[in-house]
Amino acid sequence: METPAIQTHGLTRRFGALTAVEDVTLSVASGQFFGFLGPNGAGKSTTIKMLTGLLEPSAGTVEILGRPFGAGALDLKRQIGVVPEGMALMGRLTATEYLHFVGRMYGLDRETTRRRTEELLEFMQLANETKKLVTDFSHGMQKKLALAAAVIHGPKVLFLDEPFEGVDAIAAGMLKNMLTGMINRGATIFLTTHVLEIVERLCSHVAIISKGRLVANGSLDELRAGVASTLPGAEQEQRLTLEEIFLSIVGAGGQQEQAQELTWLT
Amino acid sequence: MADLSGPGSTGAGDSGSDASELDIPMSSIAGGGLLGPLARAQYGALARLRWRMFVNSLRTNKGALEFGARIFTSVVYAVLGLCVGTGAGFATYFLVSHEKWRLLPILFWVLAFLWQVIPVMLASFQEQFDLGILLRFPVRFGSYMLLYMVFGLVDISTILGGLCSAGIWVGVAVARPDLLLWTTVALAVFAAFNILLVRAVFAWIERWLAQRRTREILGAVFMVLLLSMQVFNPALYQKRGSGHRGGMEQAEQLRQANVRYAPILKQVNAVQKWLPPGLAAQAMRQAGAQQPGEGVLSIGVLGLYALLVGGILAVRLKAEYRGENLGAAPARDKVAKAKVRTPAASAASVPIAVSQSGFSSGIYGPMAAIIEKDLRSLLRTLPLLYAIGAPLLLVLVFSGIFIKNGAPEANMFPLALPACLVYAQLGFTQIFYNNLGTEGAGIQLYFLSPTPMRTVMLAKNLLHSLLFGMVALVAALLAVVRLGMPDMVIVAATAAWLLYSLPCNLAAGILFSLKMPYRVNPGRISRQRGSQGNALLSLLVQLAFLVAAAAVFALGWFLGKMWITIPIFLGLAAGAFFVWWQVLGNADATAFERRDKLMATLMKES
Repeated sequence: METPAIQTHGLTRRFGALTAVEDVTLSVASGQFFGFLGPNGAGKSTTIKMLTGLLEPSAGTVEILGRPFGAGALDLKRQIGVVPEGMALMGRLTATEYLHFVGRMYGLDRETTRRRTEELLEFMQLANETKKLVTDFSHGMQKKLALAAAVIHGPKVLFLDEPFEGVDAIAAGMLKNMLTGMINRGATIFLTTHVLEIVERLCSHVAIISKGRLVANGSLDELRAGVASTLPGAEQEQRLTLEEIFLSIVGAGGQQEQAQELTWLT
Repeated sequence: MADLSGPGSTGAGDSGSDASELDIPMSSIAGGGLLGPLARAQYGALARLRWRMFVNSLRTNKGALEFGARIFTSVVYAVLGLCVGTGAGFATYFLVSHEKWRLLPILFWVLAFLWQVIPVMLASFQEQFDLGILLRFPVRFGSYMLLYMVFGLVDISTILGGLCSAGIWVGVAVARPDLLLWTTVALAVFAAFNILLVRAVFAWIERWLAQRRTREILGAVFMVLLLSMQVFNPALYQKRGSGHRGGMEQAEQLRQANVRYAPILKQVNAVQKWLPPGLAAQAMRQAGAQQPGEGVLSIGVLGLYALLVGGILAVRLKAEYRGENLGAAPARDKVAKAKVRTPAASAASVPIAVSQSGFSSGIYGPMAAIIEKDLRSLLRTLPLLYAIGAPLLLVLVFSGIFIKNGAPEANMFPLALPACLVYAQLGFTQIFYNNLGTEGAGIQLYFLSPTPMRTVMLAKNLLHSLLFGMVALVAALLAVVRLGMPDMVIVAATAAWLLYSLPCNLAAGILFSLKMPYRVNPGRISRQRGSQGNALLSLLVQLAFLVAAAAVFALGWFLGKMWITIPIFLGLAAGAFFVWWQVLGNADATAFERRDKLMATLMKES
């Protein structure tokens, strides 16, 4: 059996009395495009932080590429790329300077760093912005730069926390092609996003977290079948969208009813 | 789906689009001016917000420490203000009671200098509230400006300036009670001018700092100003040579200087009396000379200055109020040009940009990358450059206190050289003790990359040591130029002290940077979220190191064998180096233990 790219056992994180993530056990196979979904405050970013060494779990273990992963696992860090929630950018550098810096931090040699920086800036349509400081970039440009920084060292496992937020449609299309290409070449991608259409198009497997607990995990077809089995006979035949699956699993019906009560909204 | 379309639905608020017809709570408190019902409600909300922020800040140990530090520094500055104010009061009393009106402007110029310079010196250490958060709410511009002024009133410069003004007021009240009304009005207008000026200067500097080109021009202008100010430093023109001069000779020199500089002083006086400090003093003199018309004119012109400065500030605040995002300010025409470039042009531009990274031709790795990155960031961060450069100015100016009778060879204090270097070291407090402060969200990269935190800290320490070495060298050269060459034993002892002091500060700096960091916005010199706790404790730690060093120097002095300090300092340096190495070795463990707090603090928007 092939070693999973990402494996967690009983992953838990508590902040004082609040348990943000509780007993999350999941396995992401190598080469999988994995979507990690959940409502706001469900624990997605907390989980991704624990998976990438940005936050220490209160309990449980994380394995990346079959080896235990923690903040000090430096060799493993060379194998992963991350676009974290805060994007990890350095405002007082230009895009070129920043990518050079990141490449060197990951131990790339000068020529490789230079060549990849050039290619990535061209690909991300940032080549015309080489004199601008990162702090002066728009949010979308910063997202593209953060993604470029996450892949400059050619990671085997890529963690993306809301990578498409603020990115224009053209760039989003290019990024999707780039990510699909990475999957085809054997990389593993762990994606969190609120754009369910993207997950539906790109991801082969999906996990859903709600109130800190994993409430669904499997391929899209498995989730679809699971939700359909709970519906009345006639509706079982319909092909459910991911949005319908998601709403059904996290139980958002209550919020919709509440919204109907806000009659003072114009 | 819920029907949230509004018009057509039932409910009192859905009857039409005219706001005046809407039966929503907002309509009942809308309208009014600067002190209208809505504005008052907003002031109240903001006051409650500040109160809740204060109460919530006390929930954590860090918050409690910050509060304690703030009380302590407030008391210190209040005592300092009372001392300066008392001095100003006595000086005013003397000048007014002896009718030395010509010298009164000097007091007002000193007051204006204090008022304008202190905020720059303390900008990074004062927590200030960014009113930008108000822009999403229906706040009138007048209210926005009023709040901007009110929130600025509690800063240290205003407290010190206010106490000084109070001292002057008391001095006049005792010497000439008949001038009390005039003094009150003149001081009030002068205070308003100073408060408006300091805020206008900060607001505009921040605007210029937001653009790369203007930032670089401002940096260059600042450096030129710093250097050109020395032209006016009389201490630079002191004669070297004769060690002891008699009273007759000094009197003769004074007379000659009077004759030589009298025309210049006359011209300076003719100009300064039409500037705000001169006008304030002039108004009081004219009132004292029973010239109320002229007095009113002087106060009127002073008021015009205040209005002018207020207008300049209003222009800047109006732009902020309209939603100007300083981060997006840079040259829009260039952005537009970049967008219409042909693919060929864009391809040609890339190799040029990539070739700019030739800083480390000999070394290429994480450590060199961090050094290069930090150096670039430092050169683009005016507040930190200022922090490094300002102590050199102090060394140049204040080394004069060690000169006896204007003769460097007879300097009063043999340990003037290390004393000057202590000034230079103080400029590095923020850099040594908060070395991650400007990283912002970039702190995440250090935890994501395979580079250990000890490498990050080592790289930063190496760069900072190199910078400190250069600054210390310049400070030492300035001291030698001003005071003459000290005894070689003192030079060697000073070098040995530096070998002890540097690793001490670096080790403490690593601990402070990892355990008590605070976010520094490199684009701002005011409205920073500074940490008084870090500032105060780091100064106390430095003081402890200095006390230990002073004890060693005192021992050498007492024994009459200053050379004995050299082996003692070298021994201490070996111990300090060992401690620094241990702290560096533990940097990873310390950082990982506190990584979530570190990231939460440094990524916080200021």
